[in-house]
Amino acid sequence: MLSPNPRSTASVRGHPLHVMLVPIPLVCFVGTLITDIVYWQTAAMLWADISAWLLVVGLIVAIFAVIAGLIDFFGDRRIRELRPAWIHVLGNVTALILAIFNSLIHTRDAYTSVVPTGLILSALVVLILLVTGWNGWSMVYRHGVGVREHGVGVRDVNRT
Amino acid sequence: MKPAKAPVQSAGFALAIAAITTLAACGPDPVDPNRQLGANPDLPAIHEYLLPPMHVAEVVGWNGATPTVPSDLKIQAFATKLANPRSLYVLPNGDVLVVETGGPPGPVSRPKELVMNWVEKMAHSRTKPGQRILLFRDTNGDGLPDQQTVFIDHLNSPFGVVLVGSDLYVADTDAVIRYPYTTGDTKITAPGVKLCDLPGGPIDHHWTKSLTASPDGTKLYAGVGSNSNITENGIQAEVGRAAIWEIDRATGSHREYGTGLRNPNGLQFEPQTHVLWAVVNERDELGPDLVPDYLTSVKDGAFYGWPYSYYGQHVDPRVQPQRPDLVAKAIPPDYALSSHVAPLGLVFYTGTNLPAHYRGGAFVGEHGSWDRSILNGYKVVYVPFENGRPSGQAEDVVTGFLVDGDKARGRPVGLAVDSQGGLLIADDTGNSVWRVTGKSP
Repeated sequence: MLSPNPRSTASVRGHPLHVMLVPIPLVCFVGTLITDIVYWQTAAMLWADISAWLLVVGLIVAIFAVIAGLIDFFGDRRIRELRPAWIHVLGNVTALILAIFNSLIHTRDAYTSVVPTGLILSALVVLILLVTGWNGWSMVYRHGVGVREHGVGVRDVNRT
Repeated sequence: MKPAKAPVQSAGFALAIAAITTLAACGPDPVDPNRQLGANPDLPAIHEYLLPPMHVAEVVGWNGATPTVPSDLKIQAFATKLANPRSLYVLPNGDVLVVETGGPPGPVSRPKELVMNWVEKMAHSRTKPGQRILLFRDTNGDGLPDQQTVFIDHLNSPFGVVLVGSDLYVADTDAVIRYPYTTGDTKITAPGVKLCDLPGGPIDHHWTKSLTASPDGTKLYAGVGSNSNITENGIQAEVGRAAIWEIDRATGSHREYGTGLRNPNGLQFEPQTHVLWAVVNERDELGPDLVPDYLTSVKDGAFYGWPYSYYGQHVDPRVQPQRPDLVAKAIPPDYALSSHVAPLGLVFYTGTNLPAHYRGGAFVGEHGSWDRSILNGYKVVYVPFENGRPSGQAEDVVTGFLVDGDKARGRPVGLAVDSQGGLLIADDTGNSVWRVTGKSP
């Protein structure tokens, strides 16, 4: 029996991996914007150093989040039929590429590692994440991606 | 469920491709290093990198080969199988001191440093530095040593050495230490006495403390390099750094004699005019041809720009807050040596062993670049002097440190002139000391 909700392929006992991983890069990239702003205002190197670490940690975890997300995306045709899913995927890939660039800009020494290019990239990434996040929530809360049906057994949802 | 819709994919993918293309884009047009020699070097526009080029010469060693010298000179191995020899000092009786040393490990304050520390490791000899001073003695007068002893052991990243009367001073990375010396000593076991502290750890980015004494022997001069490339460890880490300290030999008190000198080494008094000179390593990551390293006389109280500007009033945008008041005071150095050659050794040649062509000028040991795609340096050059000022184009004298284009047999560092007028070259990566003489003595 096919479950009525789009299924998460990369999941453990009915718990989709992607949504467990995405908060980490999300928080890291939002944090980068905050510490970049503080560095811009104070020129205290500590804040720029924290930005550089946040970017690297965010990118490393993002790699796993992307893998899990793409497995879900290609694992169920019904996900690919959702418009928010496409916005989510393309937007996040763009944000990730910008974050990689941003991480390289942050390897520069002192002021120009943040101002202005790094700061602009950090802000762009967060703006894109707001859009992709909104669409990601649409997928789960409006279209029930990866959500178990009431009255349907866990065993059925996880059937392979 | 909403109806399926074919989305527009091209935008995201186009951006991705544009991004990758930009990443691979080339740097600025290269500047001929010969146009960056002398008083008025070509200074191209600033080019900040997305991916800084890190081109490190793979270390292959000498395997019996020697560096190359012009046909009127001869080069021989003075000492081999050393542990990171970086600086040299010749005692009045002809004994040669060789300082085996290495810096403290760099701290990791950013992910970048993890990579940089690894790259630097690749660029240097795998031999663990001795952290000691060896003494070499020539007893039969052939110019090559036949006795070797450990002169002073268990030092803390030593670099500069100078003897004044019977006081032998060693500049560890964090202090100037005085030892009692009697002519003929082959080892010193008496404990050293600290004359004064120098800025050391915990960061200690530029750790080599060059040392010399004023001609009258009352003052010592110590080169104290900056604690960063360009203040990325915070301006508070730079107190007392990027400066040449003048230390009173009687009291140990000091003042900053010259400032704004990013990493000054090879402190020497020019023999004719008794003016202090130094070679200085300038800043990185503004492009492959910025900023040229230089040789300069050091004027009392002068400011040479670091970190706020270079070659006078060329402002570095990476330093915040900027200091227009200090930039206005910055003076340009005397003689550019071209970019990223990393000069660490300087000696004025007053001997008579080498042909007349080499007398009166300065030899400079160029350790070699690691942050530009086309290697630069890795040689000893000669800068002719007249009346105490550079008087012509620098010329290559000792080369052959690179083989097959980008493999390093060795890297020259400190220089000295021995009692017979031979030019000695410490080669830290090749773990050797080389001796250059005239072909027909």
